[in-house]
Amino acid sequence: MGILVIGLNHRTAPVVVRERLAFAEARVPAALQTLRETGVADEAVILSTCNRVEIYVASRLPPELAFGDLEEFLHRCHDYHDPLTDHLYRYTEPQSVEHLFRVACGLDSMVLGETEILGQLKQAYELARQRGFTGPRLNRAFQRAFHVAKQVRTRTQIQRGSTSVAAVAVELAERLFSSLRDRTVLVIGAGDTSEKVARALVSRGVTRVWVTNRTLERAEALAGALGGRAIRFEEWSEAFPQVDIVISSTSSPTYLLDRPRLERWMRQRPRRPLLLVDIAVPRDIDPAVNELDDVYLYNVDDLQGIADDYLRQRQAEVARCEAIIREKVRALLDPPPHPAAPGDPAPSHAR
Amino acid sequence: MNPWTNRHLFALAVVAYGLATIYSVFLWRRGFRRHDWANYALLAAGFVAHTWALLERGLSLQHCPVRNLYEATAFVGWSLMVAYLVLGLWPRMRFVGVAVAPLQLALGVFALMPALDVPTGPVLQANRVMESMHAVLALLAYGAFGLGAAAAGLYLLQAHDLKVHKLRAVLALLPSIERLEWVARRLVQVGWGLLTVALLLGSQLTPPEGARLAGDAKVVWSVVLWAGYAGLLVWHWRGLSSRRFAWGVVGVFGFVLLTFWGTNLLSPLHHP
Repeated sequence: MGILVIGLNHRTAPVVVRERLAFAEARVPAALQTLRETGVADEAVILSTCNRVEIYVASRLPPELAFGDLEEFLHRCHDYHDPLTDHLYRYTEPQSVEHLFRVACGLDSMVLGETEILGQLKQAYELARQRGFTGPRLNRAFQRAFHVAKQVRTRTQIQRGSTSVAAVAVELAERLFSSLRDRTVLVIGAGDTSEKVARALVSRGVTRVWVTNRTLERAEALAGALGGRAIRFEEWSEAFPQVDIVISSTSSPTYLLDRPRLERWMRQRPRRPLLLVDIAVPRDIDPAVNELDDVYLYNVDDLQGIADDYLRQRQAEVARCEAIIREKVRALLDPPPHPAAPGDPAPSHAR
Repeated sequence: MNPWTNRHLFALAVVAYGLATIYSVFLWRRGFRRHDWANYALLAAGFVAHTWALLERGLSLQHCPVRNLYEATAFVGWSLMVAYLVLGLWPRMRFVGVAVAPLQLALGVFALMPALDVPTGPVLQANRVMESMHAVLALLAYGAFGLGAAAAGLYLLQAHDLKVHKLRAVLALLPSIERLEWVARRLVQVGWGLLTVALLLGSQLTPPEGARLAGDAKVVWSVVLWAGYAGLLVWHWRGLSSRRFAWGVVGVFGFVLLTFWGTNLLSPLHHP
């Protein structure tokens, strides 16, 4: 009885197809029950995320038959009538196990090395296991997948670093400040990227967020969403000396912050570092301010450059991760023979 | 007869510090991306031999071994190590060891120069405890200043990398620059406090026949040092930027390293 996997992901199917075939969590148990009752699978796990829908089964059926039945199951379950052949991938052992390990390690994710998928995989496995839809083969494979993901995380750099501008900004803040908890963030301009950066900072402990925008209503809306407060655009400069992190993203054609102005403000906040994140194009902040002591200015290119460097690092780690995965797949599917215990009968060829 | 004299033990400590220095270069080249428990362990091993050397010396002399340049240098290094090993209990602070290791190696190699370990004259019984306290506190102060300089050096390295947007600044497992500045400032404050008490005790000592406190090279040097660190702390409190404060801490300790021994030699009180 081999492990098979059939599925589609962000590389093989557009979102319009993925969303039609996604399983809501509440429907998964019934779907697993159907798989068992139709005799397709003795053991099954369904993984359904925004970027992939996959069904892992241990089946007694020949693979060609099993895959046909599973594809039919997907059509019937979602009342989907368009052909799926071009979107689906199908793996038998050992590729199915290798695929599982790659998914667990984030090697198959849209963002290489992301860790969220491991949690999603664990959740999908637990759901199936608690309802009795897994058995010895899938239990071993999935538990080994989680172990492999942990090993890959500790032995390689595949999950190090941040690959989004917002996450890089947070990492920079953590390099400057010993704690983000008592920091004040000023968001100038209520744009999407500045909102993402502010949210990322809030998720890491920032509790004071001030938002200013030429349109007060937009500032109030974003401040409300972030749990902060809005400041009139004419008044933000008065509040500046209390600020530790500035995220600026306006459509101003001229610099909002220049060196002479910032020099005066820095005298009101001595010895405290200041992080300036300028996401605007054209820039809101004069690059010359970076020459001031205790001021650290990053524009969108700087942040994206760091994110790209991280991604290159992760890509350089893929070969190492794949080597670890291949070794673990071999160990799982072709384990070395156990040494004989004392008292065991001698092997027949030795007599 | 025990073949291991205190100098042999101290030399063993210096070897460990040397190995830690080599490993520190490796950590630095790798951008501080590996946890440096190995470096901490090497420095701790050196500290064990170092402590044993000082204990053996002190027991054989029947007083605190701080009376000639070899002993004083070894003691400064020992106090620096005590401060570092405590600080290094916090994982990210262990990286200060990459600055401590070469400093310890330099101090150790200097201390082992034969001309420094000369026998010293007897100590007046009345002065013995106070003199030892004066010397110990002063040398502990220098140890604190040294570790403060190491933290300040690491601050300057990290702050520079952040300024010029080096990826290493983000990847490194170093503490935040705010934390490094805080550590440097606290160590300088502690060192200044210890030096203050040391100087006060020293002012109460009876100088030997023919020597005077006022005008003594080492005394003048110590007062200048005390004033220098005081000025740095006040200036920083009044608004001196963290980067300039860090340079000040490194610079003043550099002054200590370059002039301590020469000043000692010029001082009849400290080099009779």
